[in-house]
Amino acid sequence: MDNIYLPYLATIEDIYEEAPDVRTCRLVFKDPKVRDTFDFKTGQFALYSAFGLGESTFCIASSPTHKGYIQCTFRKSGRVTGGLSDLGIGDTMGFRGPYGNWFPIDKWKGKNILFIAGGIGFPPVRSVIWNCLDRRKDFGDITIVYGAKSVADLVYKNELAQWSRMSDVKLVQAVDPGGETPDWKGKIGFVPTVLEQAAPSPNNAIAVTCGPPIMIKFVLQALNKLGFSDEQVYTTLENKMKCGVGKCGRCNVGDIYICKEGPVYTAAEVKRMYNDF
Amino acid sequence: MTTKFLKKENLGKLIDTLIGEGSIFVAPRMGARQVVYAPVSKFEEIVFDYIIPINSFKEFLFPQTETVAAFSIHKEGVDLRGVEIEPKETVIFGSRPCDAASVASLRAVFNWDFKDEFYNRREDKAVVMTVACTKADDSCFCTTVNLTPDSQKGSDILLQETSGGDYAVEAITEKGKGFMDRFNNFFEPLPTAYSPLPTVDIKPIAGVDVQKVKEWLKDTKHYENPLWQELARKCIGCGACTFACPTCHCFDIVDEGSAFEGERIKNWDACQFEFFTLHTSGHNPRDTQYKRWRNRFMCKFNFYPNKFSSRGCVGCGRCIRVCPVRLDITEVMEEISSLR
Repeated sequence: MDNIYLPYLATIEDIYEEAPDVRTCRLVFKDPKVRDTFDFKTGQFALYSAFGLGESTFCIASSPTHKGYIQCTFRKSGRVTGGLSDLGIGDTMGFRGPYGNWFPIDKWKGKNILFIAGGIGFPPVRSVIWNCLDRRKDFGDITIVYGAKSVADLVYKNELAQWSRMSDVKLVQAVDPGGETPDWKGKIGFVPTVLEQAAPSPNNAIAVTCGPPIMIKFVLQALNKLGFSDEQVYTTLENKMKCGVGKCGRCNVGDIYICKEGPVYTAAEVKRMYNDF
Repeated sequence: MTTKFLKKENLGKLIDTLIGEGSIFVAPRMGARQVVYAPVSKFEEIVFDYIIPINSFKEFLFPQTETVAAFSIHKEGVDLRGVEIEPKETVIFGSRPCDAASVASLRAVFNWDFKDEFYNRREDKAVVMTVACTKADDSCFCTTVNLTPDSQKGSDILLQETSGGDYAVEAITEKGKGFMDRFNNFFEPLPTAYSPLPTVDIKPIAGVDVQKVKEWLKDTKHYENPLWQELARKCIGCGACTFACPTCHCFDIVDEGSAFEGERIKNWDACQFEFFTLHTSGHNPRDTQYKRWRNRFMCKFNFYPNKFSSRGCVGCGRCIRVCPVRLDITEVMEEISSLR
């Protein structure tokens, strides 16, 4: 019987502690058939299970260009993410997905791409970043603006260091005022302000943003000020989900089911939705 | 399709035969001093003098609780087994036309894109034998939502009571026809003379225009209308309306068990509960009761018709009957219909 609620089993191959209570797990499917055939598109999400505690929804943080494994990055904050955080290397996680739509990066060929992320909103953006970097020739300028509350809260620190050394990537890092350390070399300020100061050009550009709702709100305003139209801006929404497949009835924003028609939308699409955020 | 005749005594024989074959026979019967749809074991348990059971029969297609997987956790990893279901044939006798019409709504939700075989296998094995309504109460409003007390929609077999307590029986679907052919010794030819009881006359609520409600809801500006807070002010968020509703389909998925083994279970849930949409971060998109009530109303008269091309409301009136604060959905429909 086809069972849409049955997850795949995956082994945690590696764990990287990104920030306090934030970790990235590298997962490899146990079933060799799944391992060989599994594919997804950048921006899709999944439900990850800690057996006995339940499932939790987050994006696939790795890029589909990196084959053979997937990664998820999450903050320990509730029952399930607490359970997932108790797992160690070699332990088993459940994985149900990939679900939802994706960032249409094939349509962005030849364009300059601007990434703007805040805090734990970085993982979905990171998937797109690697996807674009792995096809670097397809795109124009690549700019990354990333901020977190404090230096300790920045995730993907190794990758930030790696990207900062790349001559064809412009990286702007920021921490909120008060979150800096004495040796902090990045910007100090909130992401929307830092973005405005960086003043990327809207010409032939696409912006991809994810972060806390309040950040997204002001980032959209900043992008409009810089001359970006709502059609040029993509974001990924998140809502509580249980099924991930359009049945359980809780992720809808008005008549839009985030799990089915989303999670990726343009700012123009977001503005047309019912105000149910 | 052909019309046949089912004598009351043959109904008893039909039940005995079906139960003998291992089928489940659901019919209106007494449960906690109220008429409920529930399995019966013999003819005598059936209640014939009823308006509408307190529950809908969705629980026989979409159980309140259903295990979808089982797992055990040990040193070497996790054993995970998906649950396979082989539902028994389930005959739902004495369904009302409103409830029968709700089946298409559930089917739409459980089958757009991803297919929920737990639902599908149960529905495949269900035979809906609807009895047209000869009585109604003040809460019944099927005609207001464009159904009728003798509607065929969703029924496999439609029965009409006769003055003698027997039934004129019409097969509506192939499944219904197959069922009647299988038991053709019980379904007799229609006698030349019989007197069907008249179907109840339910007047549509004059002030309600469902099409207008749908159009008004489509306008995203109206989502912020202060009317919502006023209309839903008395809602206490008990969720009774959602559990009684034949088309409400929301569910939760939870793990239950010990640290070493357990089950993953689908349970009925309700959009009226605060925790339903609560994010781990503490953010809640529907953080006040009126927003949750608005969601349910929108689901019935906007999301269902527009997204699933099916009805979100069949006018059974259960949400009105069970509501502890008498928040009447038809009053809200009327209020919105009156807006210019």
